[in-house]
Amino acid sequence: MNAPNAQPKKLHIPVEHTTFANGLRVVASPDRSAPFVTVGVYYQIGFRLEPHGRSGFAHLFEHMMFQGSENAGKMEHIRLVNSSGGVLNGTTNYDITNYFEAVPSNALERVLWLEADRMRALKVDDENLNNQRDVVKEEVRVNVMNQPYGGFPWLDLPPVAFRNWPNAHNFYGDFVDLDAATLADVQNFFHTYYAPNNAVLLMLGDFEPAEAFALAKRHFESIPAQPLLPHADVSEPPQTEERYGEVEEKLGPLPAIAIGYTMPPRETPDWYAAGILERVLHGGRAGRVYRKLVLEEQIAVDADGSADLLDTNGPTQMVTRIFHKPEFTSEGTVAIYDEVIEELQSKGIAEDELDPVKVKFRADYYSMLEGGMGAYMPRFGLMHYLACFTLFDGDPHRVNTILDGFLAVTPRQVQEVARKYLVPSNRAVLVRRPSALGGAQ
Amino acid sequence: MSRTAPSILPAAAPALAPESPVEWPKRAVRTLSNGLRVVLAELRTFPKISAQLYFRSGNAVVARTAPGLAEMVATVARTGTASRPSRRIEEDLRRMGGGLGTHAGADSSSISANGLAEFSDEVLELMADIARNASFPEDEFERERRQRFEELKIERTTPGFLANERLRRVLFGAHAYAVVAPSEAQVAAYTREQLAEFYRVHYVPAEGLLIVVGDFSTDAMFEQVEKVFGTWKAHHPQPPAFPAPPLQTGRHVHLVHMPGTVQTQVLIGNLAINRRDPDWYRIILANAIYGGAFHSRLVLNIREQKGYTYSPRSSVNALRQYGYFTVQAAVRNQVAAATLTEMFYEMDKMRSLPVTVEELESARSYLTGVFSLGVATQDGLLGQLSTVFMDQLPDGYLETYRERIRALTADDVVLAARRHFDSANAQIVLVGDRAQIGEQAALFGDVTEYDASGAVLS
Repeated sequence: MNAPNAQPKKLHIPVEHTTFANGLRVVASPDRSAPFVTVGVYYQIGFRLEPHGRSGFAHLFEHMMFQGSENAGKMEHIRLVNSSGGVLNGTTNYDITNYFEAVPSNALERVLWLEADRMRALKVDDENLNNQRDVVKEEVRVNVMNQPYGGFPWLDLPPVAFRNWPNAHNFYGDFVDLDAATLADVQNFFHTYYAPNNAVLLMLGDFEPAEAFALAKRHFESIPAQPLLPHADVSEPPQTEERYGEVEEKLGPLPAIAIGYTMPPRETPDWYAAGILERVLHGGRAGRVYRKLVLEEQIAVDADGSADLLDTNGPTQMVTRIFHKPEFTSEGTVAIYDEVIEELQSKGIAEDELDPVKVKFRADYYSMLEGGMGAYMPRFGLMHYLACFTLFDGDPHRVNTILDGFLAVTPRQVQEVARKYLVPSNRAVLVRRPSALGGAQ
Repeated sequence: MSRTAPSILPAAAPALAPESPVEWPKRAVRTLSNGLRVVLAELRTFPKISAQLYFRSGNAVVARTAPGLAEMVATVARTGTASRPSRRIEEDLRRMGGGLGTHAGADSSSISANGLAEFSDEVLELMADIARNASFPEDEFERERRQRFEELKIERTTPGFLANERLRRVLFGAHAYAVVAPSEAQVAAYTREQLAEFYRVHYVPAEGLLIVVGDFSTDAMFEQVEKVFGTWKAHHPQPPAFPAPPLQTGRHVHLVHMPGTVQTQVLIGNLAINRRDPDWYRIILANAIYGGAFHSRLVLNIREQKGYTYSPRSSVNALRQYGYFTVQAAVRNQVAAATLTEMFYEMDKMRSLPVTVEELESARSYLTGVFSLGVATQDGLLGQLSTVFMDQLPDGYLETYRERIRALTADDVVLAARRHFDSANAQIVLVGDRAQIGEQAALFGDVTEYDASGAVLS
């Protein structure tokens, strides 16, 4: 391999931000390269923070935000965005719920009006709620109950790994909890969490920042702030031994294993090192876990993993997912996985293995900023990170500096973090065992 | 409930500002002396490049001899070259901040690669190495073969896969497009010599199309392309001929039985057209109004009014020789028949009544806006250029798409629906538990039942 044919280019994303009188934070990132804008509103409420005993409510509520607001009735949000030449969606995450649109830049004010209209007031009725309750149940059936490995491991692992309800419950929702939701619950939730002072507005793309801020001010600043409840306590009691659970896989033929290690707190030195460590272990065929389990030992047919570090604000795990051949035991598979971990802990990692991991980390970060949700939602990732850095860290400019922390990680730090965090008393193992092989034991 | 303070804000959505023109990046197009067609487009917003190398042969050319072989060729091609063992390929990629994908569909095989701009020469070198010097190591082939067995088993438990597989068999009959996946026995019969032979015949420059987009200078990139691909020599393969797909007369129900499932996968379809047909713009507009957009009649009906399903959708699927139209939804078992009734009702309505002016304008704007969003990311641009150059669409396709869509009328939509939404002869596939949906299925025509392996049940 030769040296690169050019020097690395330092990417700099323009970021401007302000806070309106009602507490709404507003972030703009102009980019005049194509005549489109991506607009998002992120509320600091996710399924981790939903009310105790109301599993799935944050996500059901997200659906209700498309059912009608102050001046835009059912389907109007969708019609106005689609007929402007754009696309829209919303997602519910651990600590945030987002609503976003990508449209030609001449529709900027229209989508700001739409987002302001539904931050101002939700106008929905029982028919809308019953309808979306049905839709959400079909969403759970199609994504979880009627798919091989549906919900693996994002729904399976948290109840095994965590003890505090916010981190450990069924995020999609038990049907009995979904059935219990009332219109009054919907409006209470809206008034409690969907306040301008609990949100950030993002505008990216083809506009003059001064004009965009003026439009945002016009539409959003008169929405009154609300007294905010303190967020749920999401801290976990100390873990002292390995946790283990099994779930039955009703459709798929292969046993699947998820191994989760709880990660260091956000933006500590260990957190950066853990982010690089995760990419040493995972990241497709070059990762140590895939190499060992799939290529060398040929126990598994797939093995990879990830950690949601940048976009979570509470207990988070690095999770390895392994699909192994049925002729091997899950215990034996985990034992070989453990050899990968032990080797890293005892021998560390050479500079010449770590450096390419960091190059790849930088490339993946750029790809995420540019796209991140398919080719037709430009700059989704940039919007997502700007929102998380604003809501969790109070500083959207971190989008330009966060890489420095990861790229400065040393081999010694990786080894130390592996020794400190990749230990049985910090992990949970979840086995999804096919019915045909006897199901959960 | 409202929390509105007195305000002067508009109660109706603001009008759109004047539209900005969409400028597609200039494409530099050249054909090397060995026949490789090369398309370069600079898009310098992020310091990376994205490249795709296509060959115009895929699984269709081996459908009768070794189904799925092209996919196995692509999979094994990335596991070793004359000078790079598998591990070296993966480590080189990571050193470039790169990614690599090798795939085959019905009509083509492809190698895609990306990486940081400062490593663009190396990314192209690696692509060329895999395109020209793949060594098909025996042990890697056997490992991948075993993985394919496991993947096939998982596919046979996936409702969406089973529905699509059955529909393709029904619509395409003896044509090669009927086969979307091999059986385990067929995979077991592949030989290393077959893989190497497919690669020798079909991975050739005269059948190749290379598209590179991203942060580079066109002149320098052409030099690199000439350097790594220019000395590549090979012959022209002969395109095979396939029997025509069968003519369907009347609706027929194909029920794939999966015991105990909590949902029914509904899929209906009929043969339609591909992108080279003069009706192409008409059918995609009709599709957008029918069920191809969030704001479409099908979504409004069976999701937003009736709550039968989460993600209903209709699509126009364009293959090189034929296209087909599909409508799909995953619904709770009790409403399988009700869902089919609404799907056909909306199809028949599209065939018999003009759409409203508002629907027409909305769908035209939706299509032109979303099409143009493809200019904003490297992957989007690469995808649009792939469509243009693989389907050999006319020059200016990207630039004239908006005008062509805007010129369409309500008459065009009715015309497209009458010609291509073949309600009377549509084939119906249901994947679910026959005890729960068998009676509902019989309301729509004669029913043939299959198990997940494709065997007919009595």
